[in-house]
Amino acid sequence: MMQETTDKKWFDELILELRLRQVRGDAIGDTVASARELLSDSGQGAEEAFGPARNYAAALELPTAPRNEWVKKALWPLLLSLLAFLLFSQAVASWVSSEAMLVSPAQVAFLATPVVAMALLPLYINAAIRRIWVLIALVAICAMSGLLSAVATPATQADAWLALNPLPWLVGSATVMVLLSIAITIRSWGNDGEYITDPRSNTTPRSGTGTKILTLIITNWIFPLLALAMLGLALALR
Amino acid sequence: MTVSHPEPPASEGADWPSDWLRATLGFFALHALSAGPSYGYAIISELERNGFGTVKGGTLYPLLTRYEAAGLVTTEWRAGDGGPGRKYFALTDRGRAEKNRLSADWLRFTALSNRYLSDGQHTKEVTT
Repeated sequence: MMQETTDKKWFDELILELRLRQVRGDAIGDTVASARELLSDSGQGAEEAFGPARNYAAALELPTAPRNEWVKKALWPLLLSLLAFLLFSQAVASWVSSEAMLVSPAQVAFLATPVVAMALLPLYINAAIRRIWVLIALVAICAMSGLLSAVATPATQADAWLALNPLPWLVGSATVMVLLSIAITIRSWGNDGEYITDPRSNTTPRSGTGTKILTLIITNWIFPLLALAMLGLALALR
Repeated sequence: MTVSHPEPPASEGADWPSDWLRATLGFFALHALSAGPSYGYAIISELERNGFGTVKGGTLYPLLTRYEAAGLVTTEWRAGDGGPGRKYFALTDRGRAEKNRLSADWLRFTALSNRYLSDGQHTKEVTT
């Protein structure tokens, strides 16, 4: 039982390390299946047979996608969606209360913090995934900047740097979020290279079609869904 | 298909210097495949049975993966008999040629080494 737990942790780490190296899902599935085959034959533990998962992932030298590919494929759409969501969240309260959207410089700076943190992700993504406290600190900084941006919202039009009509911003940001989600969903639906397939059965071992659809909806439509929830909340509290 | 495990390996020769094994493991692994397709544990067991010590999966699989990328071996998953499948490695023509070349080089090298060690002749710096 203890060995199973240790091996599970080792395999989770191996998959993570191969993912960080941008190895295709079918190659990860092949690596995992062949490692399991040897452990089953030899009765050894994973660490004993293969050494540390990180070293083993490096030693395999499996073909990887170009290092900047995920930035183009995933980071930029995510960044634009986040920016659109932040604009939407600022515009929705003003629109619901039929007031102008008031903006102060401090508020813009606080709202820009998560966008900048996300844009710099390629510099620290490995550290954030390997060390949970980096990830927690990142989430805490983004949450704190969101709270502070609410505090920095101007109370009156006289205090505001900008006073904008919220409707175009609301519609524009919502349109951007939906269009990006549609584009990401179309691309990820046809891209089975991301899914880990078991070469012994040619199936994804951890998820069926239902789970795949749910994962696609949650990961690709998170910002439109959050925006919808925010709109509902704002209308309910009006 | 029935898959039988190889004989339990002998422990003889398990203490060879790791540098020696690192230098020879490549063509030993190719040699282990020269009789026909085989899988990870069978290759490890054959090497151990022949006195080369226990080769770890963490050493063998990266080597075979590199050989696959270089076109020296091919891989195929074969269904197991009531159990999970196995990944079989097989030599390609290029792999067989490489194995023959390395084996011939190694035999020449060991013949030279043996002659040098058994002659007892040492090259001395001649001072005039």
